[in-house]
Amino acid sequence: MTSIDLDNVSKVYDPNGEAIEAVSDLDISIQDGEFLVFVGPSGCGKTTTLRAIAGLESITDGSIVFGGEDVTDARPRERGVAMVFQDYALYPHMTVRENIGFGLRLSSGLSEQEIERRVEETTEMLGIEDLLDDQPGELSGGQQQRVALGRAIVRDPSVFLLDEPLSNLDAKLRTDMRKEILRLQQELEVTAIYVTHDQTEAMAMGDRVAIMNHGRLQQIGPPEAVYLDPANKFVAGFLGSPSMNFLEASVESTDGTTTLEADGEFRHELPAGSVASSATEYDRVVVGIRPEDLEIVETGGVPVEVTVVEAMGDENVVYVDLGSTELTARIDSTVRLSRGDRIRIDFDSDDLYLFDPDTEAALETKTAQLTAYREPRQADATNP
Amino acid sequence: MATASDSKSLPVRFALYITLLVIIAITFIPLYWMVVAATLPQEEFFTLPPRLLPGTHFLENLQALEARFPYLRSVWNSVFVATVYTVISLFLCALAGFAFAKYEFKYREPLFYFILATLVLPVQIMIIPMYLLMAQFGLLDTHIALILPFLANPVGIFLMRQSMLSIPDSLLDAARIDGASEFQIFYRIALPAMKPMLAALAVILFISQWNAFLYPLVILESEELFTIPLAIERLTGHQRIYFDQIMVAATIAIIPMIVLFLWLQEHFVRGFTNSM
Repeated sequence: MTSIDLDNVSKVYDPNGEAIEAVSDLDISIQDGEFLVFVGPSGCGKTTTLRAIAGLESITDGSIVFGGEDVTDARPRERGVAMVFQDYALYPHMTVRENIGFGLRLSSGLSEQEIERRVEETTEMLGIEDLLDDQPGELSGGQQQRVALGRAIVRDPSVFLLDEPLSNLDAKLRTDMRKEILRLQQELEVTAIYVTHDQTEAMAMGDRVAIMNHGRLQQIGPPEAVYLDPANKFVAGFLGSPSMNFLEASVESTDGTTTLEADGEFRHELPAGSVASSATEYDRVVVGIRPEDLEIVETGGVPVEVTVVEAMGDENVVYVDLGSTELTARIDSTVRLSRGDRIRIDFDSDDLYLFDPDTEAALETKTAQLTAYREPRQADATNP
Repeated sequence: MATASDSKSLPVRFALYITLLVIIAITFIPLYWMVVAATLPQEEFFTLPPRLLPGTHFLENLQALEARFPYLRSVWNSVFVATVYTVISLFLCALAGFAFAKYEFKYREPLFYFILATLVLPVQIMIIPMYLLMAQFGLLDTHIALILPFLANPVGIFLMRQSMLSIPDSLLDAARIDGASEFQIFYRIALPAMKPMLAALAVILFISQWNAFLYPLVILESEELFTIPLAIERLTGHQRIYFDQIMVAATIAIIPMIVLFLWLQEHFVRGFTNSM
């Protein structure tokens, strides 16, 4: 177990004399035993950050500190990290036993008997003790993933790094392995850093979630906090499935009332309160509303036309046109709609998010609804 | 499961097989005749109709060959030179291929293309400079002079590089995390993953050294250092050509090659189909 501090970490690639900033001024403190998830779209710098923490990538600027010790220039083997890769990266010419024991044989100085004992203990923990003498090519994706996890945990690492480890698995197996990884991390009480582009995975697994885009940290916090109180439009749009709806609206303030007007027949009067007060300083704002906060109403609201209905079983995802803007709504599966239906949708003013149209910074979120931030599990463990 | 050959019509397949049989015959008949001739006394070589079945004169021919020239010594020389060359060259080509495929360094691409460009130089152009170089090193008339100049084989480097490109970087990173040094990564991860290509390249390198004639002819003077091609050339006398002995020598010369190929054939085919 160890804490990790990334201090102003930057990474610039300069392949053909043309500098590309993969990670920019990253400043994060990761607590002992914490499960931190880096999430973001492809090319956002999350994997580069993970590789820099592993020591597989040098950094251009800043420093990386493990438990108070500067490891910026240390080689991977000197950092006590273990890593699970997206493609598992099992050595194809070695058996499961040899794969798992390889790191111990190379650098632990343990006796052959002790190595064997640890390998067997690890495979039992993962339920793969019957596969010890198989080659990776003979294993299914899920089994390979377990072997990769085994290879990582057998060395008793102080930091556990996972680079999109579930992206090659099918949906069912992914959910199972998600639980398995969380169970292992909690049992071993190891600091874990997990990289994914899947926001559902990020929200489900992380004590905290760090959202990155274009090499910059957009926001870091517990899943509920970043979801309900996003720092900017990017975070708001990235988290949540389907994504948050956005529309540009003009702000009119007359006689103490504030009204938002947008494309189509969107016209919404804000009640006096926090949302209104943050909008009054602007001529235009970007309005955000999550699909689950839109509801179908008989009267009032805004008239829209249904374009696509996706039946998900437990709910329907409905795409509607509001003027030239497409909105998405999650509604009850018992409400039957079809393409071309004209319906009215409404929302609660408290559910609105407002963003600065230029900087895209959040002006109004659901901070008030954030009642309890989840504490890192480490804190739970110490308070039985 | 339908394969490409299943989809061909019967006449097309028939024509294909006939063509293949003709090609096999063209390749096989001279070899077969060589083996038959090695077992015949020289008088029976040019009888009509020609003898098609092996005779019983192989050992007599071999004894006559040994009496005239220490041929088995040449076989040993060839095995020694080709084996040492193949093992060292394989290692060096794999090392260079690994560096070109998996490490970023300045002038990597130009250097690689420069090495490839040396392929267009025919060996005849290099013989005189190489002879002078070996003379300066005092290596004339030694086996080292046959091995040393060709160790960094451009074909080998090219093939190993192409093959090494297929190793996922994550495999090497996993080994780095596991605590392996860069050489351990090469030796314990990359090299074992390259077995098919190494086998294919081993056959290529071994054959090239086994069959080398012109350069050894220039470098070697002492008969006891001769390799098989030089020994066979020596059997062609001024007055008389000893066909029976030449055929025995040639038959013995192909045995190690056949053994090598049979041993490595599975990898050989896989090596080429994977890397090309």
